[in-house]
Amino acid sequence: MRLSWKLFFTTIPVFVIFFTLFGCWIVEDSFQSSLNQEAEQCVIENQMFQNSYELTWNGLTEEQQEQTTAKMVVESFSRRQGSKKGKYRIYGEDGTVLYEDSPQTEISGSENRGGSEEIPGTELMGLLDQENNVGYEIVSRGSGRQLTVVSRSSFGIYFEITRDITDLFRNRDILYSRYRTGIFLVTVLAGGVMLLVIMLAMRNTGRLSRTVRRYAQGDYSARARIRSRDEIGRLAEDFNWMAGAMNRQMEQLKDQVRRQEAFTAAFAHELKTPLTSIIGYADTIRLVELTREETDQCAGYISSQGKRLQSLSYKLLELAMADKQEIDFHPIAVSQLLEEVGRILLPSLKKKKVRLELALEEGVIWGDRELLVSLFVNLGDNAGKAAPSGSSVRIEGQAFENGYRVFVEDHGRGVLPEELPRITEAFYMTDKSRSRKEGGAGLGLALCRKIVELHGAFWKFESEPGEGLRVTVWFGKTPDKRGGRPA
Amino acid sequence: MIRILIVEDEEAIANLIRMNLGKAGYQCETVFDGEGAANRILEERFDLMLLDIMLPGLSGYEVLEYAKTMDIPVIFLTAMGETAQKVKGLRMGAEDYIAKPFDIGELLARVEAVLRRCRKTQEKIRFLDIEIDPDSRVVTKGGQEAELTPKEYDLLLLFVRNRNRALYRETIYENVWGGEYSGTGRTVDLHVQRLKKKLGLEEHIAAIYKVGYRLVIPS
Repeated sequence: MRLSWKLFFTTIPVFVIFFTLFGCWIVEDSFQSSLNQEAEQCVIENQMFQNSYELTWNGLTEEQQEQTTAKMVVESFSRRQGSKKGKYRIYGEDGTVLYEDSPQTEISGSENRGGSEEIPGTELMGLLDQENNVGYEIVSRGSGRQLTVVSRSSFGIYFEITRDITDLFRNRDILYSRYRTGIFLVTVLAGGVMLLVIMLAMRNTGRLSRTVRRYAQGDYSARARIRSRDEIGRLAEDFNWMAGAMNRQMEQLKDQVRRQEAFTAAFAHELKTPLTSIIGYADTIRLVELTREETDQCAGYISSQGKRLQSLSYKLLELAMADKQEIDFHPIAVSQLLEEVGRILLPSLKKKKVRLELALEEGVIWGDRELLVSLFVNLGDNAGKAAPSGSSVRIEGQAFENGYRVFVEDHGRGVLPEELPRITEAFYMTDKSRSRKEGGAGLGLALCRKIVELHGAFWKFESEPGEGLRVTVWFGKTPDKRGGRPA
Repeated sequence: MIRILIVEDEEAIANLIRMNLGKAGYQCETVFDGEGAANRILEERFDLMLLDIMLPGLSGYEVLEYAKTMDIPVIFLTAMGETAQKVKGLRMGAEDYIAKPFDIGELLARVEAVLRRCRKTQEKIRFLDIEIDPDSRVVTKGGQEAELTPKEYDLLLLFVRNRNRALYRETIYENVWGGEYSGTGRTVDLHVQRLKKKLGLEEHIAAIYKVGYRLVIPS
């Protein structure tokens, strides 16, 4: 919920603040200009008054001037004026009121004051001089406001006009209060709408959050079902995609673990069996009354099973090393490579009276020499063991544009279709008794598979039961074209 | 004569078992796959089957079912040590199991136990000029009843069931007297001497240096 409140509390206050500031500015601005306008007009009125007075005064002779009071002068031209809006006063240089009148509009509050009235213009009077001869001032009188303009005439008297401007202030206050109400309503409405929108949006995050938690607690089929197209909807989609990817990864890892466990189990089995024999026969020799011939037989078994363990451990080592060792990839000339393989295989093949046929086109394989020798020796050895005496094992190589293909073929008993996918499993043997008699452990093809993988090559097994087995391997010529299988 | 069928595809192990059981006085035959076993028990009578669970072709469990229908007790050999295998085999009706790698002595003991339980050892045991009737616990030599104490009788049986096989003194003590062998004490040796005397087996019970004794009965 925190984000919702964050959003709410950042937008709404900001909105309210700016709205308020803006409103204040507008109201103040308009008030100021009204005020200025009023002041200007008052000044003009003052000036008119002053001018009228001075005109009239200047029209009198000196004799008449001495006889005339300010009041008389004013009355002489006031009839000609229209309505006046302010209270007029005329001061002498010393501050005495030479003339005063009541305005046509009442000044609020001043009626209630009985006696002493302030003379608002006094301060102003003091400030005026030859150059700054007009000034004005705003004064609070009771609950109202007044604007007083004072001007200094050239012959030492002061003209003062006071206007009531309470209305201006009141209007301003009214505007403010209206504005306040307005803001309040708008805030409530806008706030409400905003809150609603935020809640709706956040509801989806809540849902998403719950889904994620379910997934984390183990329900790996949990997916977010949020249909909106906004950012949250997209986040939900992303989560779903990630969940799928993680599930796949978990499956892969589980698979790996399973394979590892299967390997370990098979390995343990392969280990226990020869050990059972060795220990059993040794105990037999020790505890049982045996003929010389029987003792020899027992010893023979101990020896052969021991060798079997030896071969197993060696093969396992090879298998483990194939992963870890420094693989040295070079372009390898195929004919050379396979001729060497042939030389290695020849002795055992000869003993079995199996012919070796080599048909190799010139070509290059990108790979590690040692590993490739190991690969083909293993394949050839398997072929040799499967081939019946008098038959042949054929190793053929063909060059292609982006790679090289080799196949190793024998005419032995072949492999049943249901067993074909399993022959590269570690420790798997199709004919266990024969394999073991020949010292096999079932690891040869597992090793070959590893080598093929390391080279980025492809391989394929084809077999017709009773007719033989053919293993085909496709290699690439260059590092980036590894395993280029022709279409 | 008790006939045992050994069904095991590992030749070395099959031979090992056959050799040892043979020396212990059982008549043994070996078969290397499930089908061979199924056929064999149809052709001949067998008193016990030792069956490897992991077999090529017909699975060990299927052979087990066949044997059950023919009323042949089965002890099966497991290699993986998986509890699931043991449980399944026992549930399917095998009498017992033993896991590889096993001690031959232990295998012999289990064979004996199963045979006893299935009353296949009812028959009298005969060797040389001695006859033992397990039911009545009467031992006769050359037609004459021999007076044996209970411990001597048990000792005799132990030797007979492990004939041609050396027995550790500990083994003898544990089987006949129960409890742990102290390492000292002459109980075992004294009883063996007396047994030899009473049944005239001086030539046949040999002392094995650093092990114990062995009853030798040429087959």
